[in-house]
Amino acid sequence: MSTEIDCRGLACPAPVLKTKELIEQEKPEKLIVIVDNEAARQNVTRFMEYQGFDVSASEEGTDFHVTGHAGEGSESAAAPVKTVESEEVKQKIMVMVGTDRMGHGDDELGLKLMVSFLKTLKEMGGELWRLVFVNNGVKMTISDSEVLPVLEELEKSGVYILVCGTCLTHFNLLEKKMVGETTNMLDIVTAMQLADKVVNI
Amino acid sequence: MIVGLDRADDAGVYRVNDDLALIQTVDFFTPIVDDPYWFGQIAAANALSDVYAMGGVPKTAMNLVGFPLEQMDMSILREILQGGIDKMKEAGVVLVGGHSVEDPELKYGLSVTGFIHPKRILTQKNLKGGDRLILTKPLGTGIVNTAVKGGIASPEVVESVTHLMARLNQKPAEIMSRYEVHACTDITGFGLLGHLAEMVLDSGCGIRLQSDRIPIIPEAREYAQMGFIPAGAYRNREFRSGMMEFLPSVDRFLQDLLFDPQTSGGLLISVSEKDSADLLRALKTGGVHEAVIIGGVISTSEERIFVE
Repeated sequence: MSTEIDCRGLACPAPVLKTKELIEQEKPEKLIVIVDNEAARQNVTRFMEYQGFDVSASEEGTDFHVTGHAGEGSESAAAPVKTVESEEVKQKIMVMVGTDRMGHGDDELGLKLMVSFLKTLKEMGGELWRLVFVNNGVKMTISDSEVLPVLEELEKSGVYILVCGTCLTHFNLLEKKMVGETTNMLDIVTAMQLADKVVNI
Repeated sequence: MIVGLDRADDAGVYRVNDDLALIQTVDFFTPIVDDPYWFGQIAAANALSDVYAMGGVPKTAMNLVGFPLEQMDMSILREILQGGIDKMKEAGVVLVGGHSVEDPELKYGLSVTGFIHPKRILTQKNLKGGDRLILTKPLGTGIVNTAVKGGIASPEVVESVTHLMARLNQKPAEIMSRYEVHACTDITGFGLLGHLAEMVLDSGCGIRLQSDRIPIIPEAREYAQMGFIPAGAYRNREFRSGMMEFLPSVDRFLQDLLFDPQTSGGLLISVSEKDSADLLRALKTGGVHEAVIIGGVISTSEERIFVE
């Protein structure tokens, strides 16, 4: 299914909002957005890429045609991943990781245990719904973290990984975060309310 | 006339005698937040900022108002003006008058007059090799405001960015006056890199920035990835990209944030290396918690900005 929308004459952020609405409502395989200014071209490109589309843009006279094809990770393609919840899944489990050490006592041991814990988490299967990193826990998501591949694997399998933005900023790690979405307290609280079970580490 | 039209600086300066000069500046804009009272505060903080950026003390101000009498209730205007007055009180500024016109698009701002010692005027154009650069507020208000317009920002984010924009640059200005500061500006429409570019031009210096130290509103990065970037950020980049050198680790979303036009942004202070640690400590203990050293000035014939 291919859809086209005309966003000429609209100033930012209107073209992005129109694109967002269309993707959410129609989940198109192919999408062409026509814009007439450079900022809108770039912003619509960014938004489609953020949604997992493969994007290209062409100049047509004074207009730009931004074309997106639904890719692997797009909303439309991602839909089946989300429905995993409704299959065999009995409950939604949210795991809060507030430290980079598991348990108290020996730090070295604590780190080992935390690595092992995160590696084993996948055994929860589809019931693992959200994995949230706060405080020292955010250190598990940065470039030199031992468990980065594990977390990337979890994310690919459909687990939402949320990383506290305030914490990353506090530790000066915002740019080093390699996995998950930066989040805020409102998202975390909302997720807690929706989860069937919240596990605190 | 000490600082006039020939220099694209924050405000004009006129010397009265050997001990006193007047700083004059004017700024106004259309609403950037829905709440009229907070809009008044932000517009006032923004207009006063130019005086602080030059090292001066604002003394008097006049209101500038464009108001759509046909479409809007006068109570909205009263709230805006109250916001402005409260901000002026906080700054120790006396409101001496104003002028309003009927205007289909609401606008509010101030014309501000301040005092400064003629020998202690800080301009943008006095970088010295070895200086450290301190930024006093996080970046990202342009992007966040675009996301707010798009209705995707949470109430929590709206509130925190509103408070950030309404914050006066009074404290950092007072504190920096006790240290060896060579140049200063406030970050507004040109974004951090646009204002730095103005400082670098004809300075005989270059700038090196450590991008991972630059304070950024946490949510702004994701909004940038989603394409909620104001057109001004793209214009800023196009205008100054020739002076920039980005390391590959500085991805385009971070670059967007560095070019993001700010409303009532923080001060960017160029301070001698020897005073930099003391000034930073004084700022933090004085309540300017977000102040960070973001880079330094290098002596080089290449007037460029290197972002690492």
